[in-house]
Amino acid sequence: MKYKGWLLPPALRDFHEGRIWLREHSPIAEQDLNQAIERNYFNIIEGIQQTPHLKCNRCHNDNPQQFTTFDCSKCRQLCVYCRHCLAMGRVSSCTQLVVWRGPRAIRPTRHLLAWTGQFTELQQQATDEMLESVKVKRSHLVHAVCGAGKTELLFPVVHFALQEGLRVCIATPRTDVVLELFPRFHKVFPRTTIHALYGGAPQQQGYAQLIMATTHQLYRFEQAFDVMIVDEADAFPYIFDETLKRAVHKAKTAEAPILFVTATPSQKLLNQYQNSSYSFIPKRYHNHPLPVPRYSSLWGYEKKLKKGVIPLKLKKWTEDRLTQKEPFLIFLPKVELVDIAVSIFQALHSDILAVHAEDPERKEKVLKLRNEEIPGLLTTTILERGITIKNVQVAVVGAESSIYTSSALIQIAGRVGRNIAFADGDVVFFHHGITVEMDEARAKIQYNNKIGFSL
Amino acid sequence: MNKKETHCLLCAQLLQSEPSWKTLLTKQFPPCICKKCASRFEHAPSPTALYQYNDAMKDYLHQYKFLQDVALAKVFRQELQDQFKHEKSPIIPIPMHPLKQKERTFSHMEELLKAAKIPYIQLLEKTTAETQSSKNREERLQTASLFQLLPSVTVAYKEYVLFDDIQTTGTTLRHATEILLQAGAKNVRSFTLING
Ligand SMILES: [Zn+2]
Ligand SMILES: [Zn+2]
Ligand SMILES: [Zn+2]
Repeated sequence: MKYKGWLLPPALRDFHEGRIWLREHSPIAEQDLNQAIERNYFNIIEGIQQTPHLKCNRCHNDNPQQFTTFDCSKCRQLCVYCRHCLAMGRVSSCTQLVVWRGPRAIRPTRHLLAWTGQFTELQQQATDEMLESVKVKRSHLVHAVCGAGKTELLFPVVHFALQEGLRVCIATPRTDVVLELFPRFHKVFPRTTIHALYGGAPQQQGYAQLIMATTHQLYRFEQAFDVMIVDEADAFPYIFDETLKRAVHKAKTAEAPILFVTATPSQKLLNQYQNSSYSFIPKRYHNHPLPVPRYSSLWGYEKKLKKGVIPLKLKKWTEDRLTQKEPFLIFLPKVELVDIAVSIFQALHSDILAVHAEDPERKEKVLKLRNEEIPGLLTTTILERGITIKNVQVAVVGAESSIYTSSALIQIAGRVGRNIAFADGDVVFFHHGITVEMDEARAKIQYNNKIGFSL
Repeated sequence: MNKKETHCLLCAQLLQSEPSWKTLLTKQFPPCICKKCASRFEHAPSPTALYQYNDAMKDYLHQYKFLQDVALAKVFRQELQDQFKHEKSPIIPIPMHPLKQKERTFSHMEELLKAAKIPYIQLLEKTTAETQSSKNREERLQTASLFQLLPSVTVAYKEYVLFDDIQTTGTTLRHATEILLQAGAKNVRSFTLING
């Protein structure tokens, strides 16, 4: 039943524009949603497409292994659902996805960029090049070493796009990075509505012209963004999941450029952009070289740790940090080793803590290290990127392990010496044998230093 | 539901493929979760339940019931089959209220048995769509019966086995047992997936 006097609630449009959403999960009052559907404000799409082949219309998964068929009590027939994007609310044959096609939300074109920092010459050049690419809607790769001031680099281009009335997304594979970026952008763009989207994020009000999201959240958007920025493009799990790449493309408009920003671009990305639209910042903003990792053999470390003994060199390294009061991170290749090691290290100093991916107190513990409340942290690769701690010293134990790709090692080394007052520091690869990845990481860091200081 | 899993249903790790002769000879289901995930579940010491409630089980129930991942009905199919294959008495899974079942799109208890290829019957229906967990203990003890007999079914003078997911206060199973006994059952036993 249509009733006169129904006005489209702005909140409905603000929320649904650009999103592909489960009808039954809309945060909008059901009555309003039904009215809007009746007035053709939405495209209604079946959750699972059967022909020409099985495909989830939300996440675009089409791997037959990731679908399950069952006897559905709702539609009373055989029903198929997608297990790939299950955590965002199940999409099945009998669920409907709604895509807004009504009038567009109002996009303000006056945005304040409240930032007074100064760019180095290299940074300035990179931002100019990015702007140039965005103006002609061309995708672009920014290759900036750890500590080059990657986030600041984005300010001018984001500001430009917002002023043009474009909708911008900054996507990153990791929730930690979203949580780190959001307050910084919030401060710099005080008049802009920004939403931060990640698993478990709170409901946020209004229409966000700027969105920071984990790449997973992009499944829930469709042709929404006019500029797509992919931060840490190489980070786990982005490189492993083809569907996440498809999500990036699906979430943006057809002609929207993608800006890739990373310290460790894959060879594929380099090949694609190096000769066309590519900015390279081989030097840190503070004009000091990147700390070069040193090698130190630590034979049989795993056995020793499991026996409850810290290998001698590692013990000495840790004690040196403690006496010199330098905050430290010790990376271990397995969660189980972190669990074993923490109690042994606590014998050296009772305040040493451990973190891993599933640790709910991860943020608090990192904060404690930053605030100098604890001397050091044992960690898995989860802390390889995104964190900045003044004067931090880093040891990678078991640097030969296969999880330490050259990119991971470069990112880990990139934690050190980021602060201008402590521009140097120790990065040590404790190993049980030297790998190609270790050598590659060190060679790339040395190469960047060479290029950076020959310019 | 019958397809062979190549990846662990819980952690998506690639599954070590078992030689097919083994599953053929022993008539076992091929594994659908990895060894690591399997080891997180804790067997119950009780003869009337398979598992203890723990973090792994909490995650499992969340994904199975709340996220509606019907595929997870297969996770315990081997253990359930081993438990029930020699069962002589008819098995009755605790039913859901029709509205709840439509909302969840499946009956989680029936799907567990279907996945294990265990035949079952249904004699009961739920009279209320309210959940037990939304009530406090007193309310739970005082509620009128949660079940009634399905129209036009007969309860024979024999033993029945009720099957539920988790036993906390026992109210659900007690109510179902009473209805069956009143209708003429000789005896009612119960078995749960999880010890509360
Ligand atoms: Zn999907
Ligand atoms: Zn259905
Ligand atoms: Zn597993």
